[in-house]
Amino acid sequence: MKKILVIDDETIIRLSCERTLIPEGYEVKSALGGKEGLEMLEKEPFTLVLLDLKMPDMDGIEVLKKIKDTWPENKVIMITGYSTVETAVKALKLGAWNYIEKPFTPDALLEAVKEAIG
Amino acid sequence: MKNIFLHPEKSLTAKLIIAVGLLIVVGSFVFWYALLHKQEKDLVGIAVRYGGSFIDFVKKSTRYSMLNFHRAAIQQTLEDMSIAEGVSRVRIFDHNGRVFFSSQKTEVNSQVDKKSIACKGCHLEPDKSSKLLLNPQEWTIYKARDGYRVLKIIDPIPNEPSCYTAECHIHSSKQKILGFVEADLTLELLDKAQFRQGLALTGYVAIFILAISASLGIILYKLVSKPVSHLVYGMEKVAAGNLDHFIPIKSFDEIGVLTNSFNSMIKDIKAARQQQERFTQTLEAEVAKKTEEIQKTQAGLIQTEKLASLGRMAAGVAHEINNPLTGIVTFAHLMLKRVPPDSEDAEDLKVIIEQSERCAKIIKNLLTFARAIPSEKGKVPVNELLSRTINMVRNQEKFYNIKFDINLDPKNFVALGETSQFQQIFLNMLINAADAMNERGTVTIATRKITVDNKPFVEIEFTDTGSGIPDELQTRLFEPFFTTKPVGKGTGLGLSVSHGIVRHYGGQILVKSTVGKGTSFFVRLHLLEEQVV
Repeated sequence: MKKILVIDDETIIRLSCERTLIPEGYEVKSALGGKEGLEMLEKEPFTLVLLDLKMPDMDGIEVLKKIKDTWPENKVIMITGYSTVETAVKALKLGAWNYIEKPFTPDALLEAVKEAIG
Repeated sequence: MKNIFLHPEKSLTAKLIIAVGLLIVVGSFVFWYALLHKQEKDLVGIAVRYGGSFIDFVKKSTRYSMLNFHRAAIQQTLEDMSIAEGVSRVRIFDHNGRVFFSSQKTEVNSQVDKKSIACKGCHLEPDKSSKLLLNPQEWTIYKARDGYRVLKIIDPIPNEPSCYTAECHIHSSKQKILGFVEADLTLELLDKAQFRQGLALTGYVAIFILAISASLGIILYKLVSKPVSHLVYGMEKVAAGNLDHFIPIKSFDEIGVLTNSFNSMIKDIKAARQQQERFTQTLEAEVAKKTEEIQKTQAGLIQTEKLASLGRMAAGVAHEINNPLTGIVTFAHLMLKRVPPDSEDAEDLKVIIEQSERCAKIIKNLLTFARAIPSEKGKVPVNELLSRTINMVRNQEKFYNIKFDINLDPKNFVALGETSQFQQIFLNMLINAADAMNERGTVTIATRKITVDNKPFVEIEFTDTGSGIPDELQTRLFEPFFTTKPVGKGTGLGLSVSHGIVRHYGGQILVKSTVGKGTSFFVRLHLLEEQVV
C-alpha cells in the first residue's frame, strides 16, 4: 500500500486530504508541522509527501530541502496558498514533483497524486 | 496762497514774508523817524536864525527912537511889526521884568513871569543875582492856543556909551544890560509844511513796504512756495502708494536739484518695488509649483502605500480563506459522491461547490493585484509586451466580438518598469475597454514617443468605442474600490492599482472621455531606449 504523509498546520487541509485519498486506497498519515513531519519520515518510509509551503514552525521550502537531502527518492507535492511563478520554479528546482493550488478540489488532488505515484 | 497766512507756521513763504516784512517795517520806521527828526532840527535851527535876525531888526529899528527917548514911536514900531505874517508879539522889558513896550498895548507896564525862559538866560533862580552868560540869547518853542507852535526868542539889550550919554539920562553907565527884546514868532507855516511832508513820507514808506512785501510774496511764491508745494504734493502721492507721479522740473536751483533727486529716487523705488514684486511672484509661483509637486507625490505615496497595505491585507485574508474553502469544496464533493446523482441534495451540493469556486476566483484576482505591488525597477519592452497581452486576450470569449486596431510605433520602446506589473496594467486596460463596450466594438491600441518636461516618454493609448465616462466620475476613476461595473463584476481595484504602479515608475495615466463616443486612456511611461527594428 502506498503511504502518503500530509504536512500542514491546517486541520481542514489534512482532513480533506485524508478523506479524499483514503477511499482511493492510500494510507494517509498527517503531521502538524515541518518538524513533526521530518520526525515521522525518519521513523517510517512514505511514498509521497504533500507539503504545505507556509507553516508557522518551519518554512515549506526548508522542509522540502531537508526531505530532498535525506530521502532524495521521496516524491513531494507542494500545496501553495497562492502560486507565483517564482515560488513554483523554486520548489520544482529543489526537487518537488509538482504543486497544487489551494483551494483544490478532490479531483485535482487525486489527479496530481495519481500522476506522481500511480 | 490764502491759507499760508492762516497757518503761517506751516508755510515757508509766509514765514519769509513775515520776517522780511517785519524787517522792512522796522527799518522804514527808523528811517522815517530819523528823517523827520533831522528835518525838524534843521527847520527849527533856521527858524531860530531868522528869529535872531528879526530881533536884530527890531533892535536896529528902535535904536534911534531909544536914544531920543521917543516912547510913542517905539511903541508904534513894535505894533507895526506885529502886523507882519508870522509875528504874533514883540515886546521890550527891563531886567526886573517890567514891560516897557509891547505890540499888544495892554501888556505895557505889566510884569513878566520871573520863572519864564526870558529870565532864565541870566537868573538861574528867580529874584537871585544874575550871572551874565556868554550867549545870553535864549529861545524856546511852545504851543499856542490855536495848536500851532510858537518860537519865543529873548535877546538882551547891552549898555552902550551912546545909551548912558543920551540926553534922557535914564540909564547909568554901570548897567550892563538895559533890557530885553522878546519876539513870539508863529511856526504855523513850518508846522503845516512839516505835517504835509511827514504825511507824504509816511505814505511813501507805506507804499514802499506794501510794494516790497507784495513783490517779495510773489517772488517767494513762484520760486519757493509753488515748487515746494509740488514736492509736498508729490511726496503725499508717493506716500499714498502712487509711484507713477512725476514732478515737473522748472528750475535749475536747489529746489530743481531736490525735485530731480526726488524723481530719480521715486524711479529707483518703483524699479525696486517692481523687482520685488516680480521676485515675490516668481517665488509664489515656485512655491505653488513645488507645493503641487509635493502634494502630487504625497498623494501618489499615500495611494501606493494604501494599495500596498490593502494588498498585504488581501493576501493574508485570501491565504487564510483558502484553507476553509478547500475544506468546503472537498467535503461537498465527498457528499456529492454519496447522494443519488440527480437528487435535490446533489443539486444543492453543486451550488455549494460552484459558489465556493466563485469565492476562489475572487480571491485569486485579489491576490494577483496584491502581488503586483512590490517590484524591482527594470526594463520593459513595451511593443512586445503589448503584442503578447493582446494575443493572450484575443482567444478569450470576452474579446470574441471586439476588433483590434493596432497602431504601434515601428521602433521598439523600452520603458522603465517591471514586465509582469505592466502586463497586468495592459490586461486591465483591455478588460475595462471590453466591459465599457459590452464586449462589442473596436479597441485602438497605439504607441508613440512624447516629451513631457523635456523628458522622453512612451505613450500607450487604449481607446474604446464604449459608453464613455461622465466628467464628474472621471476624477474618481483612480480611487480604490471605485467601480461602475455591476456588483460582483469589478473590484474597483484595477485602475487604482495600475495608477499606483505607473506613478511608482514616474509615469502617469491620463483619461479623455466623451459620453456616448468612447474613452481613451493614455499610459505614459519613462522611455529608456528606442530600438530600431
